[in-house]
Amino acid sequence: MAKTFKDKIDSGRFILCGELGPPQSCNGDVIRKKSAHFRGHVDAVNITDNQTAIVRLSSIAAGKILLEEHIEPIVQMTCRDRNRIAIQSDLLGAAALGLNNVLCLTGDYMKFGNHPEARPVYDLDSIQLIAALARMNEGRLLSGDTMKTPPHFCIGAAANPFAEPFEMRLIRLYKKIRAGAHFIQTQPVFDIELFEKWMEKVREMELAEKTAILAGVMPVKSVNALLHMQKEVPGVRIDEAYISRMKTAADPEEEGIKMAVEIISHIKNIKGIRGIHLMPVMWESITPVILREAGLNRQNEEK
Amino acid sequence: MTQDELATLDNTKISPRERKFSHLMLWFEDLIKVPVFRCQHCGECLLSSTAFTCSQRCPKRIRNGPCGGTGKDGSCEVYPDRKCIWFLIHRRTKRMNRLAALYDIKKIHNWSLEGTSAWLNVFKRRIDPPIIFLTREQKRKKLSGQDIQR
Repeated sequence: MAKTFKDKIDSGRFILCGELGPPQSCNGDVIRKKSAHFRGHVDAVNITDNQTAIVRLSSIAAGKILLEEHIEPIVQMTCRDRNRIAIQSDLLGAAALGLNNVLCLTGDYMKFGNHPEARPVYDLDSIQLIAALARMNEGRLLSGDTMKTPPHFCIGAAANPFAEPFEMRLIRLYKKIRAGAHFIQTQPVFDIELFEKWMEKVREMELAEKTAILAGVMPVKSVNALLHMQKEVPGVRIDEAYISRMKTAADPEEEGIKMAVEIISHIKNIKGIRGIHLMPVMWESITPVILREAGLNRQNEEK
Repeated sequence: MTQDELATLDNTKISPRERKFSHLMLWFEDLIKVPVFRCQHCGECLLSSTAFTCSQRCPKRIRNGPCGGTGKDGSCEVYPDRKCIWFLIHRRTKRMNRLAALYDIKKIHNWSLEGTSAWLNVFKRRIDPPIIFLTREQKRKKLSGQDIQR
C-alpha cells in the first residue's frame, strides 16, 4: 500500500504541501486539470473550504476528485458553516471516502465573502475541532457515543505567527498541539525575522518536536497582490523590502518566483521546520516551478 | 483528551421549576454582569480565566483565544473599529499575572445552558468552577509545554 501523509510525517522526511482552490462552479474538470501541477511534486495538497467565505465546490468533494487522480488531499474543515452535528457527519463521510487528512480551522468571517448577510455558526472553534477529531480517532463522538469503526484522521492545524498578540499565538499553538494536532501549517511567511523569533520561542517551549511544523510560502504575481494582502487581509505582516522589490521589478511574475524561492531557501534551514506549504492563490501552475528552483524536487529524490 | 475535558454533557437536564429559579438568579447576576462585563448569557461563564473580560463578545465567539485576524494595533478583523476581545484579554491577563489560565483548553460550549444563570450552574456542578488562583507549579509546567505527551 502506498504511504499515507501521516506515514510521511512520522518518517521525518521533509514534507511538501501544495494548495488548491476549488472552482466557483460544479465543474470538477477544473480540479482534474489543476491536479497535474501537483502530481509527483508534493506529498499532499490542501483543499480550501470556501476560503474568505466565498461559496465554492465543497472541499470534501474536491478531495475525492483529487484522490481519484492519485493525489493525497488535505481537506480543510472550518467551523464557520457547520455545527457539531454537521461537522462530525461530514468528517465521517470524508473518512468513508478515504480522505483522512483534515486541517482544522475556525474560518474566515462571512463579512469577507460573497454572502456577508449569512448567519455565523462557530459552534466549535479550531482547537475544539482538533480535540473532537482526536476523540473520533479514539472511536468516540462528541456525544460520548462509541463508533464501531473509528476513523484514522491525520489532524492538521493552522498557526499565525504574525498576528498580535505574539504571546497568544504561542499559547494557541500549545493548545492545538495539546488537543492533538499532528501537523501545523503556518500562515505565509513574508517577514523572516519575526518568523525566526517565533520559531525560537516554539523550540524553547519544546513544541517543535511534538508536531510537524510546515512553513507557509505564498508566491505572488504582482505588487498589487502584496498590497492587497497587507491592507485587506488581517493578521498578515509583510516586510517592506518585498513590496519595494515587487514595485521596481521589470517582470513581477519572475520576481515573485524568485522571492518565494528565496524565502523557502531561508526558512527550510530553520531548526524545527519540517516542511513547506506552498499556497499560491489561484496560481497553482507555479508550484512545480518554484519547488524545482528551490531544489526540492521530489522526483529526483525518489529515484 | 478525555471525555470530561472536552464537553459538559451529563447533568444538563433542567427542570421547569429550576429554570424559573435560574431566571430569578439571572436577574441578580445581570445587575453586575451586564453593565460591567457586557455578559452575553452563555451560561458557562469564563470570566475568571479571561481576566474578567467576556470572551463571548468576539464575533466568532471563540472560547480558546484569538483567531488569526488580529490587526497590528490589536483591532478586530470583523469590526476594525473595535479592539479584538482576545487582545484585551491577553493584556489584562498579563497585568494580573494569570497567563497560565489561558493555557487550558476550554470546553465546547453547551448551548442548552444559554440564558441560564452561570452561578447556579456552578453550584449545580454543570460547569467548571471559577479559577480563583493558580499555583506556581502550574504556571511553570504550562509555560514550558512539558505536559504534552506524544
